[in-house]
Amino acid sequence: MRKVAVVGIGHTRFGNLSDYNLVDVMAMASLDAMEDAGITEERTLIDQLFVANMGGGIINHQTGIASALVSRIAMEPTPAELIENGPASGASAVKLGYMAVKSGMADLVMVTGGELMRAVTGWKGTDFVATLLHPDVEYRYGLTLPAFGGMFTRLYMERYGLTERDLALVAVKDHANGAKNPFAHVQNECTMEGIYDGPNAEVVNNYVAEPLRLYSMCPVSDGAASLLLCATDSPLYERFKKRAGIVISGIGSATDTHCVHNRKDPLDLEAVRISAERAYQNACLTASDISFAELHDAFVILEIAISEEIGLFRKGEAKNAIAEGATKVTGSMPINTSGGLKAKGHPVGATGVSQVYELVKQLRQEAEEGRQVADPVHGIAVNFGGFGNNVVTTICSKEFA
Amino acid sequence: MLKGVRMINIDFSAYEETRPKVEGVVCPTCGKLHYPAPMICDRCNTRRDPSGARYSRWETTELEGNCTLLTWTRVHALPDGFDIPFLQFGIVEFSNGLRASGLLKSENPEIGMQLTAIADVVRETGNKKEWGLVFVT
Repeated sequence: MRKVAVVGIGHTRFGNLSDYNLVDVMAMASLDAMEDAGITEERTLIDQLFVANMGGGIINHQTGIASALVSRIAMEPTPAELIENGPASGASAVKLGYMAVKSGMADLVMVTGGELMRAVTGWKGTDFVATLLHPDVEYRYGLTLPAFGGMFTRLYMERYGLTERDLALVAVKDHANGAKNPFAHVQNECTMEGIYDGPNAEVVNNYVAEPLRLYSMCPVSDGAASLLLCATDSPLYERFKKRAGIVISGIGSATDTHCVHNRKDPLDLEAVRISAERAYQNACLTASDISFAELHDAFVILEIAISEEIGLFRKGEAKNAIAEGATKVTGSMPINTSGGLKAKGHPVGATGVSQVYELVKQLRQEAEEGRQVADPVHGIAVNFGGFGNNVVTTICSKEFA
Repeated sequence: MLKGVRMINIDFSAYEETRPKVEGVVCPTCGKLHYPAPMICDRCNTRRDPSGARYSRWETTELEGNCTLLTWTRVHALPDGFDIPFLQFGIVEFSNGLRASGLLKSENPEIGMQLTAIADVVRETGNKKEWGLVFVT
């Protein structure tokens, strides 16, 4: 069966891009991916565009974004569709691109995800994401994603003995990585003294949704990322062979109950576990083959819980791995070498694409100094939509691994 | 009948019908309780039809009374216009096994504590009042 290679990658700076236009930002990342692949002038060779965006219709008052993007980068009459799957829109677009190539319907596909959330106030940004909750039995109460993050964290602490100090350790590690990533929204390091141990920590790192604090949550960001996918058995693939071959070796997704309260165990992230099982099966790999991971730490607790759910650590044991430094770039299982959502930022529609961008960058061994994993072979990315009700897991590998 | 006469004959019982309630539904075939109401029972595949035109209506069951707190949070980042320092939310389990999210009004919440669920105003925007579950000690 044909393999799907990632032959071009593009990324904008994440942060505050509210002076710019959503489609322009997506176009920047898309053209960067084409430039990386060396096909800018022959871009109409691309069979199909999949565009990921969650809130353009609500926060930017713009619809028909895929069509607008095609036109902005002068690619008519290339087919283009928009994928909205909450904060997992990005990885869903990657999945559809993968399916299009794998099925033989397309040989060369572009996947671009982008979001401009800072066009509105911080509260409106949070409120817009909260519209993915159940309108009658969740959203109406003023419940938001941070509120669910807080409730999840409290229960996790109670059951596994996790402490707020463990959460702060994740933030310090993510910021250290983000500081070395030129595309990261937050590029400053933070210290345990500053956000937890020191006398001013309570003020600097105040509660947002208890027990989650400011340094337990990702920022609200703008940005875009883009990938070019090509079938390895296509004649087109020849032109991309000057670069290290990186393939999507497996992809899987799963859903869970819309309402968090309807899960048998509120700590059981079933969609995360099943999506990863499907991706491992698709790739003929297991968790022990994985060299590094990009996990959806919109709240740092999710980095911990997802790493356990996908089998990188046993349940309740990720906190020990963090304390021992195993999840640092130099550790045995580096997690969020990009800075993660925590430091790199979380433009919702872009995040899933950006995670795969990071996998490719690491596998090509092109990451910046200080955040390159030593000899990675397989990387895994988990893009978490809703409060875990739609999750996509992607595994990328060196082509001849 | 004249319009004015009709005005006098107000059926006050209609007002009682608007008493705020938070309701789950009961599957008419297998008896499973659901909240919120699904369009098909996940246990026996009986369909629900809110209009009652094609399939029989499902009985409702009120979500009120004793419940246990499963987890909770105190949210400090509130929307514009909230003149309070924080809002508390919780997820509870009722004795019949149903679970629900709602507002939590307790000074010292603790996982596992017993609470009472009541229907009350949970959000006011302008003149519009939203009713929902409030968990009190």
